[in-house]
Amino acid sequence: MLGSTADSLFWMFRYIERVENTLCMIESGFQLYLLSSNNLYNEWDAILRTNSIRHHFLKKNNSLESLNIINFMFKEPKNLNNILLLIGKARENARRSRVSITSEVWEAINTCWLYLNEELNKKINENKIQIIIKNTREKIALIFGFLERSMLKNEILNFCYLGTFIERFDNTARILNTRYYLLMDEKKFRFEGYDNFQLEMILRSISSYRSFMWKNQNEIKANKVSYFLISDKDMPKSLMFCISETIKNLKSIHKKNFTKNNSYLNALSIQKRIKQKHTNFNNYSFLNGLFKINMTLAANIEDEFNFQ
Amino acid sequence: MTYITKKYDEAFINKNSVRTNYKKLINWFKNQDNNELRKKNSDAMKFFQNTGVSFKVYSNDDKENLIPFDIIPRIINYKEWDKIVKGITQRVLAINFFLNDIYSEQEIIKHEVIPVDLIQNNPAFLKQMIGFIPPKKTYNHISGIDLIKTNSDNFYVLEDNVRVPSGASYMIENRDTMIKLFPDLISRYKVFENRNYTKNLSEILKKSSPKKTNRNPNIVLLTPGIYNSAFFEHAFLADKLGIELVEGKDLRVINKYLNMKTIEGWKRVDVIYRRIDDIFLDPLSFKEDSFLGVPGLMEVYRNKNVTIANAPGTGISDDKSIYSYIPDIIKFYLGQKPILKNVKTFKCRVKDELKYVLDNLNKLVVKEVHGSGGYGMLVGPLASKTEISKFKNKIIKNPYNYIAQPTLSLSTCPIYTKKGLTSRHVDLRCFALLAKEKVTVTTGGLTRVALKKDSLVVNSSQGGGTKDTWILSS
Repeated sequence: MLGSTADSLFWMFRYIERVENTLCMIESGFQLYLLSSNNLYNEWDAILRTNSIRHHFLKKNNSLESLNIINFMFKEPKNLNNILLLIGKARENARRSRVSITSEVWEAINTCWLYLNEELNKKINENKIQIIIKNTREKIALIFGFLERSMLKNEILNFCYLGTFIERFDNTARILNTRYYLLMDEKKFRFEGYDNFQLEMILRSISSYRSFMWKNQNEIKANKVSYFLISDKDMPKSLMFCISETIKNLKSIHKKNFTKNNSYLNALSIQKRIKQKHTNFNNYSFLNGLFKINMTLAANIEDEFNFQ
Repeated sequence: MTYITKKYDEAFINKNSVRTNYKKLINWFKNQDNNELRKKNSDAMKFFQNTGVSFKVYSNDDKENLIPFDIIPRIINYKEWDKIVKGITQRVLAINFFLNDIYSEQEIIKHEVIPVDLIQNNPAFLKQMIGFIPPKKTYNHISGIDLIKTNSDNFYVLEDNVRVPSGASYMIENRDTMIKLFPDLISRYKVFENRNYTKNLSEILKKSSPKKTNRNPNIVLLTPGIYNSAFFEHAFLADKLGIELVEGKDLRVINKYLNMKTIEGWKRVDVIYRRIDDIFLDPLSFKEDSFLGVPGLMEVYRNKNVTIANAPGTGISDDKSIYSYIPDIIKFYLGQKPILKNVKTFKCRVKDELKYVLDNLNKLVVKEVHGSGGYGMLVGPLASKTEISKFKNKIIKNPYNYIAQPTLSLSTCPIYTKKGLTSRHVDLRCFALLAKEKVTVTTGGLTRVALKKDSLVVNSSQGGGTKDTWILSS
């Protein structure tokens, strides 16, 4: 396989995953807006910081007005992580690696791009936001469905999954990083007005509220949320799950030689750190450390597999 | 709506009388529900949109355009087709002999069949190829021959495209679409398969490999990248051929061989099916600032360590001024009369012919010798006085750059519109493959259709569309 093809596959799925993650955040913010929640501004503030776009947004806007933020996240050209741009980049990479993916996967990506272009190039109507999010998430599910069902189980697929899980790890780590103070041990830190609502919002922002409640008998506690997001090996958005999948895919590509590669060694060190952490998950330096090694890991992959 | 036939129409003799080839089709059409057809017509476009069958027109925006597809097939019977195959085979072989000759002994010039300046002063003549015999003595592995019909008897050759002809992917997609949409119609006829084009292409590329071992050669398709107008076709063909789609940046010359950068390191390349022009192939030999090619590629090629298909320098033979000599070329190398006729061509480089052209611009189609895609041409009968006078100055300034042809009454075929069938002008691009002096012409081709009423410009870059082309086996 060409190094440049691996590059395209990897980034195609980083961008697709980023679209999905951004949609989840828009949805959680939009729900609060509909309920006219008191926490609305804090929530948008956290979302913008998680995406590293708060500064850019406030350059153009004086206040955290919900619909402006949603518009900004969907299609503002100044926001380099806007949904329209991300899906365009995903499709561009899909075109570059068109020979490596099946026509089913290609068509699923292409139709998702066509759909978003049609919807987002019109004025975004308040009544349509939820429909757009729902339809897009369904189209993304179709991409992953065809990826699983129509592709050969070889290194092409491994690179698609590497992109997916590196990006997902990054996203969960960012969310934890932005809101680590909420997740500190309740006994030591109690904020005035602090309630479970914000913890709930963290879960909602990664679309994992229901599964958390199901696993934890409808009881929200900071340390349980932390465990769920960081160490729970069953939770598809947890750091532990993401890094385990990354390791699995790296092993598969490298075949026998994986033990010598920096990407594998770094992935293993992330997994080890998470395993060793049993309490006080939310120490800022711990999270920040994981976040940084994941970035190094991504760079290792680009280097080891001759990306451009 | 009444079907009006002003010129030679391939389906209708007149509004009440249908030609044999089209009888089943027209009967079938009469029994179709128009709403249903309308839906299928839009399904076809949706199918192209979703699968990303697109064509980028060079412009300032990033928009990708769909080539309009017409659901009414063009039908050609076997007798007509047989003549086309024989004619194309003859041309393709003659062109290959011609290319081998002008880059070596130049017998054709010595025998004064072709004037020397037509070769020497031609930018498409590559001095780097002089004295070099390409692997397997093959230059034009892949040709796209454009034909037009003016009456019931004759197809004429309009152009021999041998630089980087495109369109085969649309030919295949058109067939796929027709089978999906109208299985009941296609099964009424005995239509030849055309989708074996990619299998044949794969075979001739394998045969062209300079390598002597039995191991399968490593073939790649070299594309300028995703922003190229024909990128869809590059990806489509690489996919069907099961080969890597590479850009210049994926390739490097290492130890006299060409290699591609894989996830496991460098891997040797034996054959390049290139879809970039000569001048971009190697910045060390041609255009210095080109990023599309590979530095040192020509040296590897000259050492016969890689095959480039089509060979560099092939372009000279589809130059429009050489075109007018193709009948002489056929005669010189094969000792045969051309089976397919050329369109009468006036060479502006010849004094008398220039005078005729300048005096009759309003009747002629004038083309740039190196132009393509319908750009840089003047369609006299449709041009305004100002346009004609501007063009006249251009010709006078550089007559060597132009040829002229009479405005031909291109045949028409029916296309589908919401109001029913209507006639439009068509041409036909046929695809021929050459290996070891054997020519394979794909049974079918790409019919291009001018969608605007009375328009003669069928190029997709100028708003033309395409339709499936059925060659009947009996």
